[in-house]
Amino acid sequence: MSTIKEYLTADHSRCDEFFAIMEDKANTSIADAKSAFEEFAQATERHFQMEERVMFVEFEAKTGMTEGPTAMMRHEHAQMRNLIKQMGEAIESEDKDKFFGLSETLMILMQQHNMKEEQMLYTMAQQHLSAESPRVVDMMESMIVE
Amino acid sequence: MELNGLSTDQAPPISAPLRFYVTAPLFAIIAGFMMLFSQADVLMSRYSLDSIVITHALTIGFLGFVMLGSLTQMLPVLAGVKIPKVDTISKISYISLVAGTIFMLLGLKYEAYIFNTLAMLLLSFGFVMMISVIAMAILKVKNFNATVKAMSVSLVFGAFTVLMGLFLLYTYIDNEYAQYRNVVANIHSVWGIFGFGGILIIGVAFQVLPMFYVAPRFKQFCKKRVVLLISVGLVIWLFSNVFADTYSFIAKAWIALFFWAFATTVWRKLTQRRRPISDVTVWYWRVASVFLTLGSFLWIFDEYFKHEYIVVVAILLGGGFILSIMVGMLYKIIPFLVWFHLNAMGYMSIPTMNEMINKNLAKVQFFLFIASLVGFVFAFYIPILLKISALSFIVSMAILQYNVIAPILIYKRVKKTKPDFDMSAFTIK
Repeated sequence: MSTIKEYLTADHSRCDEFFAIMEDKANTSIADAKSAFEEFAQATERHFQMEERVMFVEFEAKTGMTEGPTAMMRHEHAQMRNLIKQMGEAIESEDKDKFFGLSETLMILMQQHNMKEEQMLYTMAQQHLSAESPRVVDMMESMIVE
Repeated sequence: MELNGLSTDQAPPISAPLRFYVTAPLFAIIAGFMMLFSQADVLMSRYSLDSIVITHALTIGFLGFVMLGSLTQMLPVLAGVKIPKVDTISKISYISLVAGTIFMLLGLKYEAYIFNTLAMLLLSFGFVMMISVIAMAILKVKNFNATVKAMSVSLVFGAFTVLMGLFLLYTYIDNEYAQYRNVVANIHSVWGIFGFGGILIIGVAFQVLPMFYVAPRFKQFCKKRVVLLISVGLVIWLFSNVFADTYSFIAKAWIALFFWAFATTVWRKLTQRRRPISDVTVWYWRVASVFLTLGSFLWIFDEYFKHEYIVVVAILLGGGFILSIMVGMLYKIIPFLVWFHLNAMGYMSIPTMNEMINKNLAKVQFFLFIASLVGFVFAFYIPILLKISALSFIVSMAILQYNVIAPILIYKRVKKTKPDFDMSAFTIK
């Protein structure tokens, strides 16, 4: 069983992979990138929800920190959701330039966000939730996306 | 507006890195004009005053400023630590570094005692202040990763480079120590290029290549050992250079080998990257690895040619390697910072990163810059090339200046016109 940190870090790489496939498709033909985009959007949304509905909740309950790092991560999730939504619109209107402008912005936002999580938040979560780690990972894995 | 503070709370104010970034190209333009009005045979000697002045307009004015600006921005993201009072401190040290650099250029160029003295005071104040607050922040880091380790090592080399630089400047004020000048200058430049600049870039590459281009991650050996191996090489080189110069080529080969390995690794990682996009920043990384390879080998061979080619080595490494990567990274960092800060304020209809800098203008800037570097190298044999290359360099840096300012103007315009103000995306379900 992987730890919370390992599990979520691996999921970041999974999302990166979907991102790369999506950009690759969009580069060849923006019209054909729709399904790849949806796969990426779903994987990312699932990741956000695993954090927001499971891990952050457990972390906040344990540490009492509701206004700290988790609030900031939720805020950045909102920023990313907004960009992903706009990327979907760019694909619909087949606007390649707009799409890549947005994907470039999302990429950097996402990566610096992941870095903060992997360097700090996951490490903190692993320390505070070490006993509950298997249960938390289990819950994240079996979660149904809303 | 409570949410607003969450990310800006951690990130430094946008002005802290930007003031350094905006100023850097200006010093490069100054360096370009000095090259234009200088003679090729004078610049062929690394110890001529003209060479020293031009070099420092670039190393302090461009490289140093970009490095300091980036450190204020990167430490919170990479290491989760804030630089204490970053806004005030970066402002004060920025002012003294700008004034100090200008006084130093004037002081050395016109051999003016008073300017050199002022420069020494201002530069030491600015650098000591900046380096010590960054060091204080690093001391608070809990989870050291490879990049933060590399940054810390680079900072140590940086501190020594600055100290030696201050001593060197002092030898122009008080002639008594002038006899040590060449020995110290040699160490100062080697530690500055490989220890301060080179190690910082290696550390940043560990993060940036996988992050921006979805390139494969660096192997654990690279991340854990390479910085240490290079640092040991630099210390051994220092002692062999001072006490047993006949053996110093071994340490040189050691250092150059690892940088060459780094250059080829960068090239391979970029080839294996998952993102199909090839923009000017990728080109900058690519040419930087070519220049680094050439520069490293020439640095070793130069040993057998009575150091005839050391100026060419400096062009290849300082310009081709370090400057290239920094310019390339500016093209990513500045649009992102502008976007990030505007977005965090709640503005939604803002240009994307790609719309902030004209891509074609960035390409023109790239080609003029690379052409000028190649020209400078060949000006070694064909002196007439110096003027043309200097012109090409000036134009490329003027375009860079424009490209750096353009996103900042967008930032100001959006803040002023307030196109929309939509926090609805941030409502928590």
